[in-house]
Amino acid sequence: MSEASPTAEVSSPEEAASSNSAPQDPVQNASTTDRMVLEYLRARGHNSAERALMEVLENVDSDDKEKHTETPTVSTDELVRSLAVYAQKPSRPGENVLKDSTSVLQELTTMGNPTNIQNLIASIGAVGAEEILALDPTDKQDGFTELEAWVDGSLDMYKPEFRPILFPIFCHFYLDLIQSGFREAALKFFSTFSLSLAAAHTATLHHLSTLLLPSHAQNDDLAQRFRNEKYAVRMSRSGFSLLVGWLTEGVGGEAAGAGEGFSGERGKRGRAAVMRVVNNHLRFDVSASNTTSVSPNAWEESTGLLSSLIPQTPGATASLTNPQAFNSSQGGLKLGPSPISEELRAEAEYKLREQATVETDPGAQYDASNIRPSVPGIVAPTETDLPPLPPTFKSIDVAREVQKVRDARKRIRLEPSALTNGDIDSPQNATLRARALPSVCAYTLHDAGEGAPCTTFSPDTSLMAAGFAESYIRIWSLKGEKLRGLRSDFQASSIQNSSSIQRIREKGGTSTRKLIGHSGPVYSLSFDPLSGSAGPPKYLLSASADATTRLWSLDTMTNVVAYRGHQNPVWDVQWSPLGVYFATGSRDRTARLWSTDRTSCLRVYAGHLNDVDCVKFHPNSLYLATGSSDWTARLWDVQKGSCVRVFIGHQGSLSSLAISPDGRYLASAGEDLAINLWDLGSGRRIKKMTGHTASIYSLAFSEESSMLVSGSADWTVRCWDVKSAGGMANKARENGLFGGEQSDHHETSDLVTTFPTKRTPITNVQFTPRNLCLVAGVYQAPDPR
Amino acid sequence: MNKPKARLPQAQNTGIYKKDTIRDVAESLGITSLSDAVASSLASDVEYRIHQVIEEAARFMRHARRTSMTTSDIDLALRVLNIEPLYGHSSHNPHIFRRALPFPQLPAAGPVYFVEDEEIDFDRVLREDKITLPRGVSYTAHWLAVEGVQPLIPENPPAIPRDDAQDPTKALAAGNVPLSPGRASANAKKQQQQQQLVKQVLSRELQLYYTRLTSSLLPPTSADHAKRTAALASLRNDAGLQALLPYLIRWIGEGVVGALKEGGQSENDGRVLEVLMDVISAIMDNTTLFVEPYLHQILPPILSTLLHSSLPPTHSTHLRTSASQSLSRLLTQHSTTYPSLSPRIMKTLLLALIGEGKSVGTREGAIRGLIGVGKEAVRKGLVEGGGAKVIGNECTASSWGMEPLVEAAMHAFVILQPPSDMPESADAELLTSLREALGNFFAEKLAGDRGWAVGVLTGTST
Repeated sequence: MSEASPTAEVSSPEEAASSNSAPQDPVQNASTTDRMVLEYLRARGHNSAERALMEVLENVDSDDKEKHTETPTVSTDELVRSLAVYAQKPSRPGENVLKDSTSVLQELTTMGNPTNIQNLIASIGAVGAEEILALDPTDKQDGFTELEAWVDGSLDMYKPEFRPILFPIFCHFYLDLIQSGFREAALKFFSTFSLSLAAAHTATLHHLSTLLLPSHAQNDDLAQRFRNEKYAVRMSRSGFSLLVGWLTEGVGGEAAGAGEGFSGERGKRGRAAVMRVVNNHLRFDVSASNTTSVSPNAWEESTGLLSSLIPQTPGATASLTNPQAFNSSQGGLKLGPSPISEELRAEAEYKLREQATVETDPGAQYDASNIRPSVPGIVAPTETDLPPLPPTFKSIDVAREVQKVRDARKRIRLEPSALTNGDIDSPQNATLRARALPSVCAYTLHDAGEGAPCTTFSPDTSLMAAGFAESYIRIWSLKGEKLRGLRSDFQASSIQNSSSIQRIREKGGTSTRKLIGHSGPVYSLSFDPLSGSAGPPKYLLSASADATTRLWSLDTMTNVVAYRGHQNPVWDVQWSPLGVYFATGSRDRTARLWSTDRTSCLRVYAGHLNDVDCVKFHPNSLYLATGSSDWTARLWDVQKGSCVRVFIGHQGSLSSLAISPDGRYLASAGEDLAINLWDLGSGRRIKKMTGHTASIYSLAFSEESSMLVSGSADWTVRCWDVKSAGGMANKARENGLFGGEQSDHHETSDLVTTFPTKRTPITNVQFTPRNLCLVAGVYQAPDPR
Repeated sequence: MNKPKARLPQAQNTGIYKKDTIRDVAESLGITSLSDAVASSLASDVEYRIHQVIEEAARFMRHARRTSMTTSDIDLALRVLNIEPLYGHSSHNPHIFRRALPFPQLPAAGPVYFVEDEEIDFDRVLREDKITLPRGVSYTAHWLAVEGVQPLIPENPPAIPRDDAQDPTKALAAGNVPLSPGRASANAKKQQQQQQLVKQVLSRELQLYYTRLTSSLLPPTSADHAKRTAALASLRNDAGLQALLPYLIRWIGEGVVGALKEGGQSENDGRVLEVLMDVISAIMDNTTLFVEPYLHQILPPILSTLLHSSLPPTHSTHLRTSASQSLSRLLTQHSTTYPSLSPRIMKTLLLALIGEGKSVGTREGAIRGLIGVGKEAVRKGLVEGGGAKVIGNECTASSWGMEPLVEAAMHAFVILQPPSDMPESADAELLTSLREALGNFFAEKLAGDRGWAVGVLTGTST
């Protein structure tokens, strides 16, 4: 390995790695093993070694082979190189000591224990000497120490660029050590270096630290991803050439007092170990742009194990390595509002006109542009694009459309952008503040036992439902009305009209009902949107850990259907905005589309590498957004079942999603405590909003899509300005005041306001059609201990 | 697999599953000859499996919208991993692990924890414990915000004063607001401002600080000199002690009274008083403290020390000087806001100076106090008020023990007018007026320097 220091012509490892070019002339007369070795060396970029081997092949071809008949797979040169480390004398630490093989053989004989070497050669056997050397645990330690010293010693402008390399190399070294069974060395390596790595990697590091045996490394998903995928690192051209320079020659970035570790043999072996990882497992996105011009967000999006996160388009030969490339390859989306059938529209208009004359309110006209504003540059789908729906409309559809118009007219307009210019606390701006910020009504659950994982409000805010860890669902009427189901003991022949149905309702009753049917914690609930805000919903969907999704009729207050299909707990369920269909996301790594009238699913959206934690329909129900524990969100074409957008940038599992009512933005919240805002059309991240100090459980856009509200486990509800630029607030003024407290201020400037609650983690936030914000959570009694 | 899982919390704590545990389990199953390598790799594997279960359970915890893991999460995780769940554990009564007494014969065994299995007497339970059914789940609704403003109702946490108008984003702060889980620190300045606004409740931290502070200041043994210096420095410089001020001042007052009541003659009392004087000056040094409301409480200790008849002889001069310095500082800082403050102090001091039957110590203190109040006060007391005459008379009456008093008086004259470099004798006329104003005793002392005497008498130097 002493010769394995390639010259600078290895300017691009991936080229070198991929170029399995045609064998050259001298190779033709060599044996097959020699050719293999030669190709291997070329692939690894060991040019000088390759050259040396070719010399050997030309000169000492025949006689040397006889000498080593017992180890046919190891050529002389390989052996020489592999033993060089042991043969190296401290008196001659020069570079080219082992250049020619004869001197090496002399060196070997002077050591005076040929039997040992014979044994060694015998033990090497078919494995190959380099493999043996690669297994040596110390070079990992040395290599990483040096890499770290080099990164720390580099210029400040390159540091942000070089730092991200440390993490993948660390992981691979650790996995190498584990895989070769050096458990103690691996633990030592981990404890030495893990602390200096960026805090963002803690989760991954912890996972790696649990792998202790070779079998673990072979079976673990994450370890396999590290092994089989290329870790993408972004780098500028100049930074990359510096890295190559260091890897090959060891130049640059020498820390003061680094000593002989850099020039010495061990240093070289360490570097070689680093290079092995770089060549085999890293992919560099070398960009022409200046280092400093790249935002930290862009770094986040373009580093990591990306290749498997990006879906592969069938038929495409070259695999896409960049989320942006994938997103743009998928073409445009139809993000406009969903169309409405002419008949329904005419009927709704007629109803509105009728009401207008009754109420002598001329403003109550149906104004299509009011409800479905068309934004320039956004394609609206036609009726044929929609998933199939019932051919005729019912009176409930008309009522819903009419109510939509009324809601739009009575809506409270929220303009958080008005707050950005000027001081919002001054008294004259109190009105401005009132106009910009929502009213929030909080529903707090008490005595919830083991907790309520989910709560939801019906669109007309007449009902609230909560799913409990004790496997049941409870519904409350928020209007205080009695919830009465239908009796089951009635004569079917006696039902003639609606009034006779009223007659078979239960007597008495309370304003709350308990729905029992699941056999595991209920993780998600969804009221059917069909009646909109015009009337109470008829159905409720629930998803549970028992792998079923259940449909509950709110007329009979009973379970109507259990949808089975997922093999694992169902994390989330949501109705499509037009009813009929609904989507679920499960631990089995798929999201599925169902229709209420079939017990088997219609579509399976597979592609996520980990649990699908949350699902959200696009308002026009053409697309479905999913958030997953593989740290990505995806947008799927509901009908085709194909992935059309992938959103990479979160540094943790996703916990919640929201799509703006205007259909243009996706907001996603992750366990990295950040909320990302994405542009659905381009798939690009618009901004990252931070400020929460614990998991974010729920997100909701206001009806104008101008404000985002988030509820979190840190007992707060926060309002974010969607339109403002965001970014870290300028704290220069406070630096003087409270120096050293910067770590507390990680809030981005687009956080408009924070409403703290009393010990209530907010599990659901929701806007009513009139822009009243409803939030719900379970009160956490202080721990008695 | 069952038994190792049962010890899950322990494994979590240490992070390393010991191979000795494997061996214990093996022995309990009747396997006695377990090789070291097997035990070690089994331990590694068990640790990995435990982590697997925990990672899986963490997902269930997140989806249950909780921030602490319960046994039900573990159960669900085991279920999806196709492992038989653990029975008999529920989150209703979390286990309390107790530490067993260490084995003296086997110190290498390390601490042993066990779950206490309580014996329940059914008779007692049936007879005494009335089982109360929990109230069902209920909800309450309230306005968290109305048009962006959080109403001040009991359901909402107490309002937080905005620290400055320009920063709307920084809303959460500390104080009486329950800290959210992720947010721990609060800054002291904010807290201080807030404490003036809200009802004052001394936080536990401040209480602790108070105890530590007072215990390191008193009793003043010479050993913990460094500690005392540190305590005084903290008092002098630290912000956020406003809430402690009333308690500290009361403590000083009680300390002074206590020290003086016992006669104030012992060395120890002197040292106590010295420390207390230092504390007062430290409090006044601290710019973040707002002393004004407590002036009426802080003055008595100072004046008592200053004017007390018999301070311990070794400390008396130093004590009276530092008391007068504190007094002087206090007056310069607060006489503008309290115009009646200096006349009242003057009156007290004059009374002590010329009143009948005061002790030597009191008179000395009064003079030092006057020096502290200022030049004009000294003139008023000694020259115009006839204080010098009184002292002079007393000095001529008894010559013993008057040195400090005379010294103080001469110092006061020096303050009034420094003696001239080349003294010339006063003429007869001046001598007469000197005798008139200062009495014979001091007239003789000043007679040697004409310029000084004139300056003392008239306030102008010739």
